[in-house]
Formats: sequence, structure tokens, C-alpha cells
Amino acid sequence: MREYLLYIKACGGSIPQVQTYVTPSFSVDRSFWQEREGCVLHVIGKTSSLALAFSLRAKVNGYLMEQVGKGRMLTEGYVKELRALAVSSVCEASSLYGREAVSVQDRLEQGWFSWEPIEESVEVSYRGGKESRKWTGAQLGFLGGRELLRRSSSRENLQEAVLNELLDGRALLWDEIETLLKKRGADAQDLLAILHSFVLANKAEWRPGIRLAVTKGWWRKQLELVCERCGSAGAKVEFTYCHTCEQGCAYCTACLGMGRSKCCTPYFLMDVGESLIRSADHLQNVARLEWAGNYSADQSRAAERARCFVANPRPGLSEFLIWAVCGAGKTELLFPSVTEALAAGGRVLIATPRKDVVLELAPRIQRVFPGAKVIAVHGSSSEKWEESDITIATTHQVMRYHRRFLLVVLDEVDAFPYHNDPILYRALSRAVKKNGKLLYLSATPPGYLQKRLVGKGRPTLGSSGVIPLFSDTHVLLPGRYHGAALPVPKILTVQGLHKRVQKNRVVAPFIEAISTSLNEDRQVFVFVPRVDEIDRVLSYLQKWLPAHAEEMDGVHAADPMREEKVLAFREKRYTVMVTTTILERGVTIPKSDVVVVGAEAPVFDEASLVQIAGRVGRSVDDTTGSVLFLQAERATSPTRAVRQISQMNNLAQKLAEQRGLS
Amino acid sequence: MIGGTCVRCSGRIAALQKETVAREKARQLSDQTSYPVIYRMLKGIVLCGVCLDALPLIGNDYCQRCGRDMEYQTCIGNEGLCRDCVHGEDGQILVANRSLLRYEEGEKDLLGLFKYRGDERLASYYGTLLAITVQRFYRSIGFTCITTVPLHPQRLRERGFNQVDLLARHLGVATKIPVRPLLRRTKDTPKLSKQRGRVSRQESMREAFAWDGNNMPCVSKILLIDDIYTTGSTLRSCARTIRGHMGPSCEIYSLTIYR
Repeated sequence: MREYLLYIKACGGSIPQVQTYVTPSFSVDRSFWQEREGCVLHVIGKTSSLALAFSLRAKVNGYLMEQVGKGRMLTEGYVKELRALAVSSVCEASSLYGREAVSVQDRLEQGWFSWEPIEESVEVSYRGGKESRKWTGAQLGFLGGRELLRRSSSRENLQEAVLNELLDGRALLWDEIETLLKKRGADAQDLLAILHSFVLANKAEWRPGIRLAVTKGWWRKQLELVCERCGSAGAKVEFTYCHTCEQGCAYCTACLGMGRSKCCTPYFLMDVGESLIRSADHLQNVARLEWAGNYSADQSRAAERARCFVANPRPGLSEFLIWAVCGAGKTELLFPSVTEALAAGGRVLIATPRKDVVLELAPRIQRVFPGAKVIAVHGSSSEKWEESDITIATTHQVMRYHRRFLLVVLDEVDAFPYHNDPILYRALSRAVKKNGKLLYLSATPPGYLQKRLVGKGRPTLGSSGVIPLFSDTHVLLPGRYHGAALPVPKILTVQGLHKRVQKNRVVAPFIEAISTSLNEDRQVFVFVPRVDEIDRVLSYLQKWLPAHAEEMDGVHAADPMREEKVLAFREKRYTVMVTTTILERGVTIPKSDVVVVGAEAPVFDEASLVQIAGRVGRSVDDTTGSVLFLQAERATSPTRAVRQISQMNNLAQKLAEQRGLS
Repeated sequence: MIGGTCVRCSGRIAALQKETVAREKARQLSDQTSYPVIYRMLKGIVLCGVCLDALPLIGNDYCQRCGRDMEYQTCIGNEGLCRDCVHGEDGQILVANRSLLRYEEGEKDLLGLFKYRGDERLASYYGTLLAITVQRFYRSIGFTCITTVPLHPQRLRERGFNQVDLLARHLGVATKIPVRPLLRRTKDTPKLSKQRGRVSRQESMREAFAWDGNNMPCVSKILLIDDIYTTGSTLRSCARTIRGHMGPSCEIYSLTIYR
């Protein structure tokens, strides 16, 4: 069981400096202060719950600031008062915890939190800094005692250097640190002490996995538990009796899939150190771009703007949106920006919502940047703990980094896990370096991003004003890379659409659209709003188009055959695929058409419909295609989607005209 | 407590849809007298209708000793025993084992979430499943107490939670049988799921437990709980220790979620 000691450090001098610290091993602290300055360390007490220790530290610190600020000296009597304060705070927290955790277990006989007051004051005298230590090396044993001798030994320093490099720019829970060290073959004795010396040296931060605080409500005091890793609080944090710290504890259920974040688990946030400064040759090799393709005029304009943003050292300019319509070639646009960041000696993270995309993207990026090390990081990836120049990760893995990347690219901001999820945005902003850049990529940016980055505080889509093509914080790419216009969807309202399908009555436009496409040897996506409608629509189509009944199938998210079916569809073994919104992104099939049955359903919002329409006409050989939105009643989102698409087409046309004139 | 969302598919629980499924399942799992109890438990379980329907319940044809579903076992031995029980060690140590579900692919993930990830919210779900199993198989047996397979203190400290203890507590509340810790683990065995083969499992389990309880009446019936019965070596080793201390007159039954 790890125990954490709470102590007050008081420095003498004309202005008294008083500060409270939490430490896992007091000896490390003592020798650390010996190297810095003479001071008195008043030990308050110890506990095995890190969250409790930190909340007490905050409390004692607040109290000290107030009193010492007024000019009160830290006398023995005052320290006694503070010890009493700590004990009473523990009692308070314990009773508040008991009130919340009635369902967990009966533990009335003893408190929920254990706290062991220690009355001890240690006077630490100044033993000289690191420089002086060098020439008094022979006398070390005499000067600093065993602790200092042990810490200054070369093996220890080596371990520190290795740890420093391994943990560089990561934010990990205790268990994860152990896994990382095991995976990388490093082995450290007294790991916690070394990590704590990093904390003292201001190279790292540490916190409890769950922060505990007592807040004053309007009625009574409340216990507030917040997950330090993902920021969730309230019902997301579960109370439990923990066998690790043998007292009341809590864990976060929101980020449980990434390991258990608990009150008693230390959470280390390591800053990026100096190890990244490398030779110019090396950097040039890493940033070498080998890409044979070429940009259209629009693409090169957008890519250049993104590159300028990354190269711009101006502080405060940290977010940029590349808004490019479906099929504009977003991935290629990134290359100059990535090169720029790599050449500056930084690391790059590309975060994307889905594992399939990670797996597909990694080899592609590796081919383009042959000198850089590219790793794919997802839940079951074996490369998770490797070092790299370019990291391609699923969104949740981003949570494990701390100020590591100079450039973070966020693909498909509006897709499912990011959308309105404060946890993931929090993780992202933590993964970026202090002066790093965040690049959003989207075909349909959500309203809040548009407001913030495009319109300078005004929503742009839907308003009658023109969307600005570029600004300091965004660039808009309204046309596809092959230059042809986006296919504009046709909206048809069919009275009683769902009933007709259910009763196998003819819906002429639906059947006709599909049979026309099939006769022209094209493939068709049929999107339905719910999983249970897949079978219904499938059997309906099979009944009305018996000639093609064999070539139809349906797929949904939980389908065990999902990958095989999508592959078969790609290979044209199926010509009609009935599906839910899972295929709205990422799937590119040349010569295909789209029909949406029930476009009025709430799952099909504007962004989703624009993405669905974007499936059509993506390849150079076939730039046109038909998109049909069938709705049972009039709804706003199909109309808005059509408006957005035609708006983009107009912009692209205008842009092309301008280029033609100049 | 997860209110209104299914623990398996995290979808919304539609009460109407669940109602019919719960009735049907309760009829399948019970006879006339136990129907109301089982029905009420099924209704309270945090599963949606679709997932409840998809539970891989062990049918009415099972091995009389280890509770294995016979439909999925080709070789049916004599006296209603499965092949493993006919050829296995002497069966007198453990009177019987009963489980509710077959251990299938989808179940592995959920149990892993509970057992390794430590999602304690699942304890009430699994606790209810165990209570249903008791109602289904062990209703007529008056148990003296419930006890669990202990974790090694070292392992317990690393993990921070003991999933079987949580299960036992929920079961104890549901069935009103007292829960008592009787055993202590003396050997820190490597994870059983990492060990291959029946023999090595049995070998590593030998003498892994020691008596740690207070005095109990000699003639007692004890319910031993674990999450999964694979070869039964853990449960048998526990039972052997208990019998060694309490004499041959005590009867030990075991109960697991999965078989």
C-alpha cells in the first residue's frame, strides 16, 4: 500500500515562504530540499488516499495563504492548529462520503477515510547545490547522509534519464506507467520516488486520478469528485470501497475503458523535455515528403494556408479549420502542414474517430513520409507505447498524451465520438504543446466550430450571407479535386412512405431510381434511419426488383459479417446495399448512387445528409450521380442539406470563374 | 445504478418490449411456485428486451453434477453426467455446480469488463443473475451461508476490487442468506485463464487455500460462489479445504454465472 505524507515547508528569511506538499517518500523530499535551501519541514500526517492528501493540501494551503499573508508566523502552536484542521477536514469528508455512499457498504464503525496524524518537525539545513556537490564529492557521505549518496550515484541518474525519455509528453495513470516500462523493457527500482523527484524538479505534474473536494452548496456542503483524466464528474464517478487504499474511494466510469482512474491512483503528467532537439540532417530526413501527386489550384491554395498557419509563430492563434467538401482530398491537404511541423522538430498527431481509418491511414502516411516513424495507435494496437514522429490514433488514445505534439490534426470533427463530447476536446487540448497548433478537418463542421473559427462569432450556414473563403482561422474548399460540381440531391415527399414500404405497395420514384441505376450498371446505397428497417426495405426491394434480388444485402453496426459485406459491396458482388448511417463516411465506391428512405428522421441531420450525398461522384471517371432523399413528411434537414450543397457549388463556380478571368 | 440503459447494448430499455420477453423467460426458468420470484427478478434486471432474449441460458437438459448444458455436449454419459464428470476426479467433494449461462464470445467481453476493468455497476446485474440461478436450481436447499473464492491479498491490492465479493453481497441481499468469508488464499497462483490444460490447472490449485473462518455448526450446507466454472479445479480446491476443516458431514454446492 502506498502512503502519502503531507508536510509544510517553511523557509526563514525576511519574507517567510510557506507551502504545503504531498510526497510518497519523505526522504526524497528531504534530500531535495537539502540541495536547495535550508528550511523546516513540519509533517502533518499521512494517508493512503492520494485524493484525500491533495484535498487537504489545498485546504491547508488556502488557510496558510490567508494567515501568513496577514503576517502571522508559522509557530509550533500554529502548526498544531493546522494538524487539527487536517483531522477535522478528514472527519468532514468522511461523513460527507458516508452520506453519498450508502449503497456501497456499511462501515459505520470506522470512518471512510483513514488519516494518521504525525507530529514531527524536521529541520533541514542547506547542503549546497549540485555544482558544489561535484567538488565535495569525497565528503558526500559525511555531508548528506545515505539518501543523497544514493541519489547522486550514476545508475540512478541513468534511470532518471531513461524514464524521462519514456514518459516524455505522456499523461498516464500509475498502472499505465508500469505497463509502459514493461513494454519498453525499462525497469526502475523505487519508481515512485524517481517520479516524485521529477515533480519536485518541476518537470512533471502529478494528481490523484479522481480529485476530491468539499464544496459549499446553497444548502449544505457537498463532496465533489472530478476525474482528473477525462474531467467527468457527478453520476459518472462511482463510489466504492477500494482494496488498494483500504478506504473509501471512487472511480470514473466514463474513461473506464482506458484503465481505472481512482482516488488512490497517481496520475502523472510529464512535460516534454529537451530530448527532442535533434540535428538538422535528421530533421530533414524525417520531414522528407515523397508524394508524386499534384494539387488542383484550389487544393494548393488551401494547403498553403494551412501550412502558413502551422508555421506562424504568433501566440493565441492555435486553432484552424479546413472545411473541404466531401471528396476534396482532405488527407493530401495535410502534407505540407505535417512537413512544416516535422521540420520544426515537433511531433505530429492525427486523430480520427475510427479504428478502420487509423489502420488505413497509417501505411499511406508512412509511404509519403519515408523518413519519419509512423505508428498506429488504437485500443488493441501493439505499437501503443512506441516513440514516433507521426502518431495516428483513435480519439480515445489521445487522452494519454500531455503537451506532446506540435501539430494535432483532428479528422472528421463532426463524427460521432467527438460531437459534443467535452471529454475528447479536453484530451485534445491537453495533447497539444503550449505553443502547438490544432487543425480541424471537416466536410460539415458543427455549428460551434463554424461560429468560433469561420464567422467570427456569427453562424454562417443557413444565414443569407456569403461564407468567407478564408480567414486567419479557416480555409474553405468548396469544390472537389476533379473540379466537377457536387451532385445536388433531389427531395421527394411521398405520403405514407413507411406504410407503403411495410405493406409492399409500390413507391414508384424509389423503385424507378434504383432500377435506372442498376440498368446503367451502377451500385446503390440505400440509407434507412433505423436498424430494424433494414430487413423491411431489403425484402421490399427484393420483391419489386426480383431480377436483382440476389445482389442485395443489408448491413448495420452490430452485424458480425459487416466487414465482409462492405468488402463484397466494394468488389461489386453486391449492387444494392441497405444500411444505416454507419456507411455515411469513409466508404468510397466509384459509380454509385444514393437513396435515403425516410430522410425526415432525426438521425439524418444536415451534416449527416451532406455526408451521405457526398458518397456520390467522387472518382475522376464518374463525377456525376443521382442522390434521392425520400421523406414521408416535410422536414428541415434535407432542405438545409440541399441548400448547403448548392451553396458550395456556387462558391466553387465563382472561384473557377475568377480564376478564368485572372 | 444504471437507470434505463441496458448494460449490454447500452440502449434504452423499452418496458413494453421487455415485459413479454421477461414473461417468456420466466416461464422457461421456473415452475409454478417459483414463477413470481423469478419473473420479478427478470423484470428488475438492467437488460433491454432484445438482450434478455439473447441471453445464452442453459436449457433444462444439463449435467447433474457440473451443470453443463447437455445440448452442446455430444457425449452424454450414464446417470445424466457429462463426459468430464464421468471421467473426472471423485465428485464427492462438490455436491453439485449450477450455472445460468453458457460462456460464449459475447459474454467474454462483458465479464471482462466486470472482472478486469472493474466496472462495479455490473455487480447488480450479475448478482441478480445468480439470485435467479439459486431460485431455479437450489430453491429447496436451505443454505447455512454463502462464501466466495478468495483472492490473494497481493492480487487484491493490485486490483483494488474483488468482483466475487461484490457478487456475493448482492446475492446475499437478494436471497437473505448470510455471507461469510471462510477461506484465505495462501498461494498467489498465476491467472487461471492463462493456464492451459486441466492437469496444470488442478496442479496449481492444490493447497492454494487455507481455512480462515470462525466456528460453524458441523452439519451445514455451504454455497460457494465464483464467476465461471471451467474445469472446476478452483472450486474443488476450495471445497476440499472447507471439508477438511469441517468434516465430511458438510455439503458444499457451488454456483457460478457461466459454465
